Amino acid sequence: MKKVTFREYCLVLQNIRETRSTNSKITALSECLSKFKNNDELFLAAQFIGEGAFEEISGKKASVGSRTSGLAAASFCNIDYDRVFKPCRTATGSSSETIERLMENIPEAINQREPQELLLTDVRDIFEQLFQAGTRAGKEAILWETWKKMTPVEIKFFIRMLGQGSLRIGFETRSVVASIAEAFGKIREEVRYTHMITGSLGQTAILAKENRLNEARFQLFHPLSFMLASPIESRSIENLEEYVAEEKFDGMRAQVHVDGETIKIFSRDLNDVTHSFPDIVDFFKAREMPPTVFDGEICVYKNDTILSFQMLQKRMGIKKPGRKILQLYPVLYICYDLVFARGEPIFDFSLEKRRNLLEQITAQYNLPVTNQMSIENPDDLEFLFQRALDHGNEGLMLKLKNSPYEYGQRRKSWLKVKKPGGSLDTVIMYAHAGSGKRGGTYSDFTLGISVKDDERYEEEFIPIGKAYGGYTDEELKMMNRKIKELTVERYGPTLGLLPKLVVEIEFDDIQLNNRTKAGYTLRLPRFRSIRWDLGPADVNTLKDVEELYTQKLMNQPKQQSENSSIIF
Amino acid sequence: MKIQKTGYHGLYFPDLRISMDGYHPAAEAVFVSHAHADHMPRNRQANIMATQPTLDFMTRRGFTGKGSALPFYKVFETDYCSVTLYPAGHILGSAMIFVESDSGTLLYTGDYRIPPSPATEGFGAPKQADILITEATFALPIYKWKSQDELAEEISNFALNSLNDGYTPIFLGYNLGKGQELLHILAPLGHPMMIHGAGFKLCDVYENYGIDLGNYTVYNRDTCEGKILVAPSSAIGNGFASNLSKTRIAYCSGWAANESRRTQLTVDKLIPISDHLDFFELIRFCKQMNPHQVYITHTPNPAVVEYYLEKEGINSTYLNLEPEAEE
Repeated sequence: MKKVTFREYCLVLQNIRETRSTNSKITALSECLSKFKNNDELFLAAQFIGEGAFEEISGKKASVGSRTSGLAAASFCNIDYDRVFKPCRTATGSSSETIERLMENIPEAINQREPQELLLTDVRDIFEQLFQAGTRAGKEAILWETWKKMTPVEIKFFIRMLGQGSLRIGFETRSVVASIAEAFGKIREEVRYTHMITGSLGQTAILAKENRLNEARFQLFHPLSFMLASPIESRSIENLEEYVAEEKFDGMRAQVHVDGETIKIFSRDLNDVTHSFPDIVDFFKAREMPPTVFDGEICVYKNDTILSFQMLQKRMGIKKPGRKILQLYPVLYICYDLVFARGEPIFDFSLEKRRNLLEQITAQYNLPVTNQMSIENPDDLEFLFQRALDHGNEGLMLKLKNSPYEYGQRRKSWLKVKKPGGSLDTVIMYAHAGSGKRGGTYSDFTLGISVKDDERYEEEFIPIGKAYGGYTDEELKMMNRKIKELTVERYGPTLGLLPKLVVEIEFDDIQLNNRTKAGYTLRLPRFRSIRWDLGPADVNTLKDVEELYTQKLMNQPKQQSENSSIIF
Repeated sequence: MKIQKTGYHGLYFPDLRISMDGYHPAAEAVFVSHAHADHMPRNRQANIMATQPTLDFMTRRGFTGKGSALPFYKVFETDYCSVTLYPAGHILGSAMIFVESDSGTLLYTGDYRIPPSPATEGFGAPKQADILITEATFALPIYKWKSQDELAEEISNFALNSLNDGYTPIFLGYNLGKGQELLHILAPLGHPMMIHGAGFKLCDVYENYGIDLGNYTVYNRDTCEGKILVAPSSAIGNGFASNLSKTRIAYCSGWAANESRRTQLTVDKLIPISDHLDFFELIRFCKQMNPHQVYITHTPNPAVVEYYLEKEGINSTYLNLEPEAEE
């Protein structure tokens, strides 16, 4: 039988993109998967759609950014990158879609391409070459050679697989899992479990095809997707007594795999960050533990106090921190969940059972663990929430007592209760063209605060931050209509606006930042509402921002000695 | 040649005492290229010159002033120039305006489409123009249209497949032009169709000029199930056919070429059928007119067109007809 080519595979992806019903999408992929007789190819068919060019657990990246592929495509099509490619990308909001259409339309590009019947394994080899290639020129040469052999739709998906993002076909990992189940007549839940343990869609597909799903073993030192929490707006929860509360730390989520002398730390995006935290490695090494996997948070911890995320940021990017950094910003790993212990994965245990084990282990080996608190009524919640803020923490996590560890999912079993850092009325100064699903609209906004009566500045308004979310589709449309009227300048994808449109934003935190005009940056600014009722005279001033910052400093985190958020 | 902005999106030529697509008090005549809202003057005083279908549409869309009909290819003399209308292929009645005077020749394209829409009088152009004022709505090389036959097949197949699967197909297209072109393309299927009221009241003008729109009636919510439906995209958010549970929606516009429209509008299919010419036709037409000077209007990307025309050795500049920002 004829083998399924990469082109046919890409046409299935495009078809999934153009199908709206999730069930039809799943059927389309499952029909495709069942056509692959060769295991290598089946492996890749499941991996490419769900994980991209490289297996997630491999941690590999090709490091081909949108600039590299854009420059290569512009030269392939013999067009000017700045004068032609960039405006096209602004119009579509997608570099890969732009490249697909230029390849389709431009005569020079059409003449250069002689599409061949590439197999998925051929494409895998090209991804590997790109991973090995050191220089941008080397990568561009490989891209150029590859595109010669491809049709435009192949080129588009090839580029999207190389990027770390999704293929943008409206298809989640769990739908890939469902397709594998459908293709080989297996129960979805069993396939899901195998995928959870292996962390590999390719391997899962092969095990499903060969009726070996039960052979999957959780592998220590292969990261497991994290269980995620949903935010809640109000604090009125119906079945409150079914939850327990823990304080929510303003740190970095991490999974620690331990087996005696061997320690690995994985970040929330499943990257290996072990080398950045030698102090945590030493901490666990000293405890000589049997194979165990923890879920928890890395926080800067000094003088019995959990310090802010800003302190942690000082060392997050550093691959091999020196002694000075380690002394200035000592970290602590606070455990709050357990996914592997006593020789077996325990994600299917209820939270209560996992917690029970966790408490035994943390007591035995003297590890920091969150303090878990029961809640009976909304008053308890209010009290605990306030106390968490006093500790300098972000708020509370509420966890459903009988829930399993729902890896890689964001459901209502974990809820996060956070207090916004504050809000400001700002004016839109610049609008930026959006990308992805917001392509073709102006969806990102530079927001200004007033310095009209401020002697330190010449301007009327200066930027305080950039927000790109928090509005509804309808509001975005209304803003885009208004923006058209207010535009006075145009710099490529950016419009300069008359300062008239006022929006109320909220943010998580204010930080000092000398590199900005205002001297401050906001953390996670987002829209709360568009204030059609306000004008530029109502906008908050830089003085107001300084005031908010001072207030925040007064709110120093309290020591942990009483009612502490952790047990250590 | 002096060119001034006038009206909402229009042009006034002081040397010739005429204006195009916008009223000017000193103009002896206002030539209207076609009956879309952004080209139609609103001033009752204007002495309108346009094709008969354009005048018919304008009347139906609420224009109460006076107008005189000017047939295609017939030269009209004013005190300062002679004016000829050429079919623009954009919508029924749409015209390009060609002016000959002591200062040379000038072609104002209005909105145009090459090859022309099948629901129009076709396309025709003068041999040459010294000055070309062209729209450039789709002024990027990412825009290249499929052939009319391919698009017509896509449209018919979408309707047939939806009906076969038990779904009511809804085509989203502008009330004047696209709506009727869709009816015309779908007419050979013989299946009953319904068009939104705003588009319906313009349909008989098409039929008066011999364009077959098939078996259609005005949209009726209670009986629309199982019919082929045509509506402007704004109708979807306003309850159009919202009583039907099984519908499939196709968005029919040049902007449908952009993938992002799919999620922005939540539609099942994007059909990039445009009332405007694509980028490659635009550059080709500019070359064909062999002009001394090109003015580019109606575009978000004038710089790209200027760049390509410069490579062809053609002078061009952007003529911004957008209304000024409010101050």
